Amino acid sequence: MTCQDVQSSLSLYLYGELDFAQEEEVENHLADCAACQLSLAREKQWHTLSSSQVQEPPLRLLAECRQQLRPALSPAPSSWWRSLPFDIRFSRWSPQLAIASLFLCIGFTGARWMDNRAAQFPNLATTQIRDIQADESGLVRIVFNQPRQIEGRIDDANVRGLLLSAARQADPAVRFYSMQLLNRQNDAQHADELRQVFFDAIRNDPNPAVRLQAVDGLRRFAADPAALETIKFVLEHDDNPMVRYQAIDIIAPPDRDIAITPATTQIMQDVLRSGPEDEYVRARCAQFLTEAKLPIVY
Amino acid sequence: MVEQQAGVIENIGVHGASDRSTEADLVRAAQRGDTAAFDQLVRAHDHQVLRMAYNLLHSEEDARDVYQEAFLRVYRNLPKFRFDCSFSTWLYRIVSNLCLDQLRKRKVRQEESSTFEGESGQVDRLQFVAEERADVDPQRRFQSAEVNSRIQEVLAELTPRERIVFEMRHYQGMRLRAIGEALNVTEEAAKNCLFRATHKMRAALGDFV
Repeated sequence: MTCQDVQSSLSLYLYGELDFAQEEEVENHLADCAACQLSLAREKQWHTLSSSQVQEPPLRLLAECRQQLRPALSPAPSSWWRSLPFDIRFSRWSPQLAIASLFLCIGFTGARWMDNRAAQFPNLATTQIRDIQADESGLVRIVFNQPRQIEGRIDDANVRGLLLSAARQADPAVRFYSMQLLNRQNDAQHADELRQVFFDAIRNDPNPAVRLQAVDGLRRFAADPAALETIKFVLEHDDNPMVRYQAIDIIAPPDRDIAITPATTQIMQDVLRSGPEDEYVRARCAQFLTEAKLPIVY
Repeated sequence: MVEQQAGVIENIGVHGASDRSTEADLVRAAQRGDTAAFDQLVRAHDHQVLRMAYNLLHSEEDARDVYQEAFLRVYRNLPKFRFDCSFSTWLYRIVSNLCLDQLRKRKVRQEESSTFEGESGQVDRLQFVAEERADVDPQRRFQSAEVNSRIQEVLAELTPRERIVFEMRHYQGMRLRAIGEALNVTEEAAKNCLFRATHKMRAALGDFV
């Protein structure tokens, strides 16, 4: 591979879209070519710069979209009748068999209907209907929308348990709000549990807004070695600049005197040596070390 | 090679096998008329769908329209879905077609500007980014505003197809194969599109790196 070949493949290389052999060739070339190493550094830099452009849609917008979608959905994509296999729907039934089936069906469903009528027809004033389906015979199926809900104080153990569980749900808006509320929990007894949820979110949550909340949650644990280790992880590995800035603000708050400890000093030195190419974070680390009157080693 | 792109990837191209089977189960249940299953499918994908539309179209209203129309089409056509591809691929095919239509309609090259609709009306993207961190030093603010401006210019100059491929790969973290499937083109064609987009981006941002 020539330098030109390598340089034209660098974007695909960074995206991980080269096949194994091509990637090997690029890496072999890069190992010995200073010019291409420089090009790779520049390529990484523009990737990072343009990544900062991504905009998260407001959670309010997501909530509105969901709210508007529900009533817009027309009756079910397929009726239960249509979903039956063709040979059951249209096979030739003998008249006797059809009549016998009809009586059997009326007897069976009629008895069940009488028994369960009260249960099937809930209080119509308080019931929301989610969907209505009908087939050609006149049978109507009404699907109720009956979400369960509970209410409780933020310091209630059940509420806390549900919030901890919500922090791991698939819906990012639910994770975000639960993380925000967990941030307001002051129960020292469950601090370990809370801290662990923040750690997990910071390291694993794909949504930067959730990670931002989780990093903020570490503020009260800033003296804790495991929390500091997690903050260091953010500074070195998180791909979202706002999450990184939040992390650096926790160990070096811009608006008050910083607490210079051996642990925070070590983090600053480590990040400067091995951290990401984030000029702002690096500048804050250097500023911290200058204020601590410690040498800056890149 | 370590790819520093983990970021906000939640959907297509990154599901494990168990996720796919769960998704297929949900699709089958939704095809049988289970609206709760359909809700779950929506919830699993809608944030990513909205994010993609919002970033491509820079308009809350247009993103909302794409969201609405995409899930309505999915709902209406779900009985015809035959698992020829994954549900995600099918959904993103619909979403990317809707976004492409929007981009083409708006003749994005002429109309794109650095403003977008924020929560409190029209917001200048550059100010927004700069003011997010009012305490950072002025030189950095100035430079990031310049960079943002340049990036917006290049994005506006990309063809709708280049733009959507770049969005899907760079911002949504989708694999080229999945992008090709979503756009109904070969992986090679998606790769060429991405190559052109990144070439333009590199050339435009050369001064800043």
